[in-house]
Amino acid sequence: MIAVLLQQVRRDRIVLPIWVLGTAALLTVSAASVVSEYGDAEGRTQILTVALATPALLSLRGIPNGDSLGSAVHFQSFAFLAVTIGLMNVFLATRHGRADEEKGRRELLLAAPISRLTPAVATLVLALVANAVFAVLATLGYLSAGLPTEGSVLSAVALAVTGLAFYGVGALAGELTATTRAASGVGVVLVLVAYALRAAGDALGTPDVEKLTLEPAWPSWLSPIGWGQQTLAFTADHWWPVAAIGALAVVLIAAALVVHARRELGASLLPERQGPASARPTLTGPFGLAWRLQWPTLLAWTLGSALLGLALGSLVTAVSQLDFADNPQLAAILQSLGHTDQTDVARALLPALMVIVGSMAAAAGVQATLRAREEESAGRAETLLSAPVSRLRWLLSFAVLGAVTVAVVLLATGLAAAAGFAASGSDEFAWLSLGQCLVQAPAAFAFVGVTVLVMGLLPRAAVGLGWGLFGAGVVIGYFGQVLQLPEWLQKLSPLVHVPELPNDDWGPTILLAVIAVAVVALGVLAFRRRDLET
Amino acid sequence: MTTVIEAQSLTKRFGRTLALDGLDLTVSEGEVHGFLGPNGAGKSTTIRVLLGLLRANGGTTTVFGRDPWKDAVAIHRDVAYVPGDVTLWPNLSGGETIDYLARLRGGADAALRARLIDAFQLDPRKKGRSYSKGNRQKVALVAAFARPAKLYIFDEPTSGLDPVMESVFRAEVERVQNDGATVLLSSHILSEVEQLCDRITIVRAGRAVETGSLDELRHLTRTSFRVATGASLARVAALPGVHDAREEAGHLVFDVDGAELERVLTALTREGVTSLTATPPSLEELFLRHYGDRIAQPAEGGSDAA
Repeated sequence: MIAVLLQQVRRDRIVLPIWVLGTAALLTVSAASVVSEYGDAEGRTQILTVALATPALLSLRGIPNGDSLGSAVHFQSFAFLAVTIGLMNVFLATRHGRADEEKGRRELLLAAPISRLTPAVATLVLALVANAVFAVLATLGYLSAGLPTEGSVLSAVALAVTGLAFYGVGALAGELTATTRAASGVGVVLVLVAYALRAAGDALGTPDVEKLTLEPAWPSWLSPIGWGQQTLAFTADHWWPVAAIGALAVVLIAAALVVHARRELGASLLPERQGPASARPTLTGPFGLAWRLQWPTLLAWTLGSALLGLALGSLVTAVSQLDFADNPQLAAILQSLGHTDQTDVARALLPALMVIVGSMAAAAGVQATLRAREEESAGRAETLLSAPVSRLRWLLSFAVLGAVTVAVVLLATGLAAAAGFAASGSDEFAWLSLGQCLVQAPAAFAFVGVTVLVMGLLPRAAVGLGWGLFGAGVVIGYFGQVLQLPEWLQKLSPLVHVPELPNDDWGPTILLAVIAVAVVALGVLAFRRRDLET
Repeated sequence: MTTVIEAQSLTKRFGRTLALDGLDLTVSEGEVHGFLGPNGAGKSTTIRVLLGLLRANGGTTTVFGRDPWKDAVAIHRDVAYVPGDVTLWPNLSGGETIDYLARLRGGADAALRARLIDAFQLDPRKKGRSYSKGNRQKVALVAAFARPAKLYIFDEPTSGLDPVMESVFRAEVERVQNDGATVLLSSHILSEVEQLCDRITIVRAGRAVETGSLDELRHLTRTSFRVATGASLARVAALPGVHDAREEAGHLVFDVDGAELERVLTALTREGVTSLTATPPSLEELFLRHYGDRIAQPAEGGSDAA
């Protein structure tokens, strides 16, 4: 038992500390930023009043309780910290559970004189320790922001117990499904569903602008994250949600252990789905394959960004209806977000928000394009390129896949945003938002093009370099002005060249599109001249 | 006979490692050519150069008279290839993968595909990620055989197959050979090469050290004898061309160089023979003579690898 546990600890010596320390650091930074950004009680009242009137903001944040600092911290950060700690625990459970079985390591272990439950119990101990360490660090993080002691302990413990509940979800998913991919997938989806349920419940809830409170609608009550929010840490300090989430964790973990004790090695409650015995006619050529591999991911990106688009519509509409005359501080914040001195805040906000959508589309495109490298390093590119498929056609298929991904994500988001504006009676903004969304395309194509180029030139570094350049472009694009970076450096980011509608000078946009095509061409040429590298 | 594959003095470097060091390989139309060598000898690298996946640093290569680096697509229209380490798409079923790979070359022959899946006892509905190594190999083999090609290239095709499946594989190779196809088969499994191949090239450390028909290569090797004879051990051991002579249960056991067979036999019959078994050299032994020296005399290079 001890030996098994130590071996699991050793395997996790890098990954788990990154999750625990990273989440605790996120919590600390987030609490500290609330202190600096929300300002004094008056500032907090202003911001929370706006938030309570804006369902889109409520869905992204949570429930406040008065104008205290603790109320703002709980409102701002509890839900997304619960998601982070939930994901950490799902992956912890599947990494040492189903993954071990699938890779055959568990078979090796169980041949030793240990009980069938030993590895599962060892992982449970590991999870208890990891979440306990997190709770301690989280408490310290809250205290460092000057928050009350009881609330700090409560919020930290609530997060840790939520983590354990999702550990139970991951463990049970590993008993149900036969593959790590499926088990992690089920776990991640359930974490996101828990977040989405409370997002819907909070958005549809009944706000009280006088007391600055929110009574969430029924969907929040279906989610353990929704329960955790009911702790109202730092203000009312309810402990019953911790007991409720704890009971859920016990039930889930016990169920997983019961199944595990009765299950054969490698078996699963749900049999693995079989595939078709022959291929559909559409599965042909390198693009047919690339599309077949990528469309489920593309669907996820599209749905996610379309939801964001819908939220943008109602967010900007809510902001535009506010009267900023007696709130110059907030107007200044929103204007600085838009990097503009336009007086019409909503109009200024739209381009800034759409650049975020544009970089999401670019991320989806870069990921689709990097599938080429995944295929090459797994040795499957060799199989295709030893058939009558040219290098040019193969790599271009992935470049086209990246471009199609960008186009689909942008179009879906643009239409969703337009629908959001149209629904709130702002037809002018509907067209403007669709247009502002679509003009992101050349910049996003440029990221796809650069990814093709690194794939052609430096295959082994392609994944790191592709994402690294993307990250650099985003950071320079978003924060270049704030960080006062030199102008030539700022101009290197494609995001800086996205026009703001209405626009007269299309030169830079066209140039960006031409550059995107040119780097793709260079990448393909380089790929034709090099060896395949696994 | 037309030459299908011609490689002369191929060299290929990976960083500081010299993977191919002047390798020669000639494969004629219609033959099953064995490409033998231990792991790391450069077999897979050679095959990848022949397919235009890697670019040689030196030497010349032609496949169907074309340069594989420049004319890969034209060459590949007539080639079916099964890599040594088959990786499948985790989400695609075996059947989908077979159809997809065959479609890249023009589409599978439906009757042939059905017969092959049956012969290889493959479940085409399983997902790529849940196949074992042997089953992944079967998927790639069915995809290769399901559409006729002029040249089949197999890189260690049976390393994951059981003996029954190996015989199915052999039957398919014989079938395509009868249809006039050329086959290049890399292996370190000697029995497979012995049973299938017309000609063999043995590679070692990036160089072809022997090439020829099985008979020609046997000429270079020793035959094992087990004899009951009046001759003394010392007398037999002293004959030229006799190696490793010893006495076992009243019999003399020794190996004889191919070139000295006649003289040794003559000497033996003069002394009187009451029982004799002669075992032809297996490729195993032939192989050991080329690579065994590393074990026997690690300090020296292979003096007998002429």
